[in-house]
Amino acid sequence: MKSEIDHLESKIHWGMVVDLDRCTGCEACVVACRAENNVPTAGEDQAARGRAIHWLRVERYWEGEFPEARVRFRPVLCQQCEAAPCEPVCPTFASYHNPEGLNAQVYNRCIGTRYCANACPYTVRFFNFYNPVWDKPLHLQLNPDVSVREVGVMEKCTFCVQRIKAAEIQAKAEKRELKDGEFNPACVQTCPPKALIFGNLNDPESEVSKLARSNRATVLLGELNTRPNVTYLERGSWSGEEGGPASAG
Amino acid sequence: MNKDAVYGLYPNPESAQRAVDALEEAGVPERDIVIVSAEPFEDYPFGRRDHRTLMPWIAVLAGVLAGLMGFLFVAFTQRAYPLPTGGMPIVSPWPDGVITYELIMLGAILATLITLVVTARSPEGTSHIYATEVAQGKILVGAAKVRAENSAKIEAALRNAGAFSVVGSKPGA
Amino acid sequence: MEWRGGWSGERWVIPMASLDQDTLNRVDDDLLRPLMATSRRYFVASSLVGLIVLTAVAVFGYQVWRGIGVLGINRPVFWAFYITNFVFWIGISHAGTLISAILRLANATWRRPVTRCAEAITVFALSIGAMFPIIHLGRPWLFFWLVPYPSQRTIWPNFRSPLLWDFFAISSYLTGSVTFLLLPIIPDWAVVRERAHGWRKRLYRVLSLGWRGTPRQWNRLETAMHIMAVVIIPVAVSVHTIVSWDFAMAPVPMWHSTIFGPYFVAGAIFSGIAGLILAMALLRKCLHLEEYLRPLHFDNLGKLLLMMSLLWFYFIVAERLTTWYGNESSEMAVFWATQRGAFAPLFWIMVLCNFGIPFPLLAIKKLRTITGTVIASSTIVVGMWIERFLIIVPSLARKYLPYAFGSYRPTWVEITVTAGTFAAMGLLYLLFVKFVPIISIWELKVGLRATLPARAAWRQKAAPWSQCRDLRGRPNAGEAVLAANLMAKEPRE
Repeated sequence: MKSEIDHLESKIHWGMVVDLDRCTGCEACVVACRAENNVPTAGEDQAARGRAIHWLRVERYWEGEFPEARVRFRPVLCQQCEAAPCEPVCPTFASYHNPEGLNAQVYNRCIGTRYCANACPYTVRFFNFYNPVWDKPLHLQLNPDVSVREVGVMEKCTFCVQRIKAAEIQAKAEKRELKDGEFNPACVQTCPPKALIFGNLNDPESEVSKLARSNRATVLLGELNTRPNVTYLERGSWSGEEGGPASAG
Repeated sequence: MNKDAVYGLYPNPESAQRAVDALEEAGVPERDIVIVSAEPFEDYPFGRRDHRTLMPWIAVLAGVLAGLMGFLFVAFTQRAYPLPTGGMPIVSPWPDGVITYELIMLGAILATLITLVVTARSPEGTSHIYATEVAQGKILVGAAKVRAENSAKIEAALRNAGAFSVVGSKPGA
Repeated sequence: MEWRGGWSGERWVIPMASLDQDTLNRVDDDLLRPLMATSRRYFVASSLVGLIVLTAVAVFGYQVWRGIGVLGINRPVFWAFYITNFVFWIGISHAGTLISAILRLANATWRRPVTRCAEAITVFALSIGAMFPIIHLGRPWLFFWLVPYPSQRTIWPNFRSPLLWDFFAISSYLTGSVTFLLLPIIPDWAVVRERAHGWRKRLYRVLSLGWRGTPRQWNRLETAMHIMAVVIIPVAVSVHTIVSWDFAMAPVPMWHSTIFGPYFVAGAIFSGIAGLILAMALLRKCLHLEEYLRPLHFDNLGKLLLMMSLLWFYFIVAERLTTWYGNESSEMAVFWATQRGAFAPLFWIMVLCNFGIPFPLLAIKKLRTITGTVIASSTIVVGMWIERFLIIVPSLARKYLPYAFGSYRPTWVEITVTAGTFAAMGLLYLLFVKFVPIISIWELKVGLRATLPARAAWRQKAAPWSQCRDLRGRPNAGEAVLAANLMAKEPRE
């Protein structure tokens, strides 16, 4: 939809590609995300009640029946949708679309209606049910570039916006354009099989935009027309039929 | 000194109507005739006095104005600090329409309330004429600003119409 | 035989029977009794509900102090009991103003003893319901950020959010229904002013706003009430439609539905009438209003309730059948969870409460008594609360990606606050009947006077009740019976 907001858009549009054919389900991305973004640990009891926070999760799905079963992994993080259902429902603009295509969350504006979390079809928005606590000495490893979130506030994957801003400021100071792959969010940086690729979708030469145009490309819950900026790459369907495209790789 | 007001108390609307007619016959101007009752009597001519009002049109006008102002307010604030959400236009007509609708209704409600409070006040010089017996179902009919030479005639007219009692209140009494 | 009174040229053709002083005094005495004296049972009852309300307030304080984690909500069920209460109470609020406005416009003469009691429910239920969007917030102390006002944050609220629509809709509705309730009370307070003594007299002198009762005042009041009745109906419809849009605007399975607006409005009127019948039955017993709130009123409201029960059933069939036939995978996950999964027991209890039990009770004339309608209303109130819960929770618990499925169980905090809302309703009502005649005295008298020709006719055995007409020739048998009972020791029909 062309709209009056076009003048706000920049030549940068951040996006990510998740190559499901490469993902081994090691969850290194999950750990990296938690360390980078000061994600609090909920504790055993609270996690059992569904209060654990993990901006990035690796979903496991089994195909077939034992002993013919095989497991497939799908890292799910905020899809940074262009037509994000979470954004218009927020009464205070805590959730809004920033000019670089990020689905931004402004913690200070959030009053905790949790409407965005209900509207999100991917269930990748997280709520602080209590004030976060880090048992000593874990508080020493908090990332000074990322604010911690108080009780009653929603949070979610930011594409490591602190790294984006740092790199942009650096590039501006050196009076140059950002280079493709100059920096990466923590999950992308950590991924051993390079299943995650991050970059500028508006640059047709960037690795991420080339991959996003690949014939393996698909989006999660595409039927909802949320127009995600995260693209999944996979060969064929997940139907799991023997000899089908899913097992061809 | 003139007698300020004369009034009679009536047991039923028929006698009250007779009293009103008698006052009119006696030459009391319509704005000086005072009627007070504990019920509305729409089915009698005296109960339909003063029933003309612009209140419905004021409510419509206020609704239109409030809706217009509401829409302008919403559209202006959206443009003043443009934040895109969900791929929607900055001034999104459908959601703004919902708010405009509610403000139309609020405008009509408030205008009705204010018009009622302002226009239900009694004309000057008549608002002190009251008797507590009205609360028990009597109907008060009287005349304000009665000159001394007329008072006897008016008192008689009120009494002939069937009043329980006729009272003349003196200034400062 | 012509029994219609009227002004013909110079004098009354037919001398009217007059409302005798005894009747007027008796109406005043009966309806003002609760305002003038207070029994010990009243103090016991109000302290009891007051205690529950205070407990609920304290528990909410605990929730703010400890953090919202003391509730049972989780990911993905971010809304549960509190939002259920919100929808439920806003629904109950449709009892009054909407029904009273419709009956006013339709000139249903039997409405007179019912309207004020219904309008009071609206104001109180709306106030209770409107608290929940605030107290369910993660940071409730910042609720005023929803209000559009120029602030140092230099940002306005997001008018695209259905929560903002809620804010505007509830503001309009609350303003309208408070006005609608208060305007016809003013003449009654003027009557109390003349009968009370001491501090009560001083209080009602202020409250009655200098009301005297001139034809001008009466006509303005009637016009204002007429405008309010016309305005309040579309407002009430829009309020519950917008409440439904809180859900329908989100792409959540079985929320994202065009049927939600009318479905919610129908459900709201349904539960509202049930709430009204319960309140009327309680008032009738506690304030000894047997002669005013008569079986006729319960019978008429029972018929309305029956119609709404059928309408509710129609909506649920329409919703379920289209979902089942469409067979869309994410919706079917929610569908089967409610039809035969974890939420099925609740679903079938709801169907029983909203249709299975009330339908025969209300459809069979013999069973549509005061007891019958009260039993039906009780199950409907329970059933409609469950209905709101089943709209909210199963959809959230089964939202698209199976990996993020969840469940929900309330904690004692949510249960206490929910109990507190019912106690708050009781407390507000108890306070209300202490300061306001629960039946509009002047409107009742107008109704009684309108039955005078009918009474005269009946006295002369000139016409059977069913043919009695009021002054304007409208059928008015119901009030004629009431008038006969109030005015004389004449035999009932």
